[in-house]
Amino acid sequence: MFHPTRHRHSIHCILPPYLARSIAQNGTSEQRERVLRTLSTDSTFRALRLAGSRTTPSTLVTRPRAMMVESALHRTIFDLKNSEAFPGTPVRFEGQEATDDIAVTEAYDGLGDTYNFFWEIFGRNSIDGDGMPLQAFVHYGNNYDNAFWDGRRMVFGDGDGDLFNRFTICLDVIAHELAHGVTEDEGPLWYFRQAGALNESMSDVFGSLVRQMKLNQKADAADWLIGKGLFTDNVEGVALRSMKNPGTAFDDDVLGKDPQPGHMKDYVRTWEDNGGVHINSGIPNRAFYLVASHLGGYAWERAGRIWYDAIRDSLIKPDMGFLDFARITVMSATRLFGPGEEEDAVREAWEQVGIRVARSGVRMPAFVGAVTQPSTQAGRAPRA
Amino acid sequence: MHIEIKREGGPAYFPGLARPREVDLTSLPPEQAEALRQCVQAARFFELPPVVGALPPGAPDARRFTLTVEEGGRRHTVQFIEPVEEPRLHELLEQVTKAERAQRRGARPGTPG
Repeated sequence: MFHPTRHRHSIHCILPPYLARSIAQNGTSEQRERVLRTLSTDSTFRALRLAGSRTTPSTLVTRPRAMMVESALHRTIFDLKNSEAFPGTPVRFEGQEATDDIAVTEAYDGLGDTYNFFWEIFGRNSIDGDGMPLQAFVHYGNNYDNAFWDGRRMVFGDGDGDLFNRFTICLDVIAHELAHGVTEDEGPLWYFRQAGALNESMSDVFGSLVRQMKLNQKADAADWLIGKGLFTDNVEGVALRSMKNPGTAFDDDVLGKDPQPGHMKDYVRTWEDNGGVHINSGIPNRAFYLVASHLGGYAWERAGRIWYDAIRDSLIKPDMGFLDFARITVMSATRLFGPGEEEDAVREAWEQVGIRVARSGVRMPAFVGAVTQPSTQAGRAPRA
Repeated sequence: MHIEIKREGGPAYFPGLARPREVDLTSLPPEQAEALRQCVQAARFFELPPVVGALPPGAPDARRFTLTVEEGGRRHTVQFIEPVEEPRLHELLEQVTKAERAQRRGARPGTPG
């Protein structure tokens, strides 16, 4: 558990969501409808970040501005009936009973689980932090082998049945895609080279955490796989990626071998895959896994909190590399939990994947503004 | 006619799909091979620019297909970035991926083509 003396609660939550939920559960139906939760609006928080972070990042946690907002989970699932023509037919609105279409049910539940994760753990109200309604479109195209977030909606294919099952089948894949929306809103991180690999990694981190919370798994009980169950039985492989052991998720005649490195010495320089965004994400993925397993307990409580705080930091640059991001996670750990176990765990995890964050680099206030400047440190991540 | 397809994007990087995979027209049922030839004609493949479609900003996990067709001494390569909305180009991609899938199924031991 947290250290009460050092722990500062959620950056911007005054009333913790679990408390509000208890009110919602025990209150009258009218109260339930009107449960108010405490949360700073996204714009307030952003303004605060811009105003204060350059000189004194720690003021962010100590001076939250809050206002009351309601939880706003508003899901609509549309059936595209194997066409690619939007919007298709709305088949399930928020609060309606399940239909007998498994893809609709999985999409509806997956959006709900993802929303609830961000709301309950981070007090984030939907993808944009401002209650954005969630729309998912299922049965997109014929044998369509993908799921994606297009900036405003989730789209799921049925898979070809030969290599891939339906893309609603994995909660972590649904959460992965929605997390792209969060990164786009908070970063953004360009979808290219190291910044793109960080973008991918953020989605895997939150995708995995949403699934771990759903399964009530602690870090040592989680499998740290992304997309387990997405492959059909024809494929030699267990999942799309392994955060614990990058490069071991599949080795198949058709798909080839999982190309992910888990250390900077194996960093892949390539023009393919937007400069290896799905390849080199194995490195920050493994760093996150190492932090979570070192700290133990539920991964979202400390490791997840640190990563979420990092992606919201105003020092995030759209073209940033692994080392710059690593520094921000170390700063976040210190900011949230004070110097000690968490900060050390984060620093050590990055070191284990070949990225060294020098102590002076994050402790000295003078360095804060210079984090994205070129550095000559040993162990620096290659500029992709 | 010789067709190759290369796929990138989607939920992960699959080296096996990212390298060019040949669609052997002679291994297809004659009607399917003929349908594929007609799709290439209808799409005016040899007149297409090298890239069709533009990756919308903020579209992670979008897919790209690179198609190469060789016929009668001509060779042309086009990269398609999803979504591909033009109906004839869409149909061409559907037919090529379908043929490639059928071929893959046929090659798998114990699986009917």
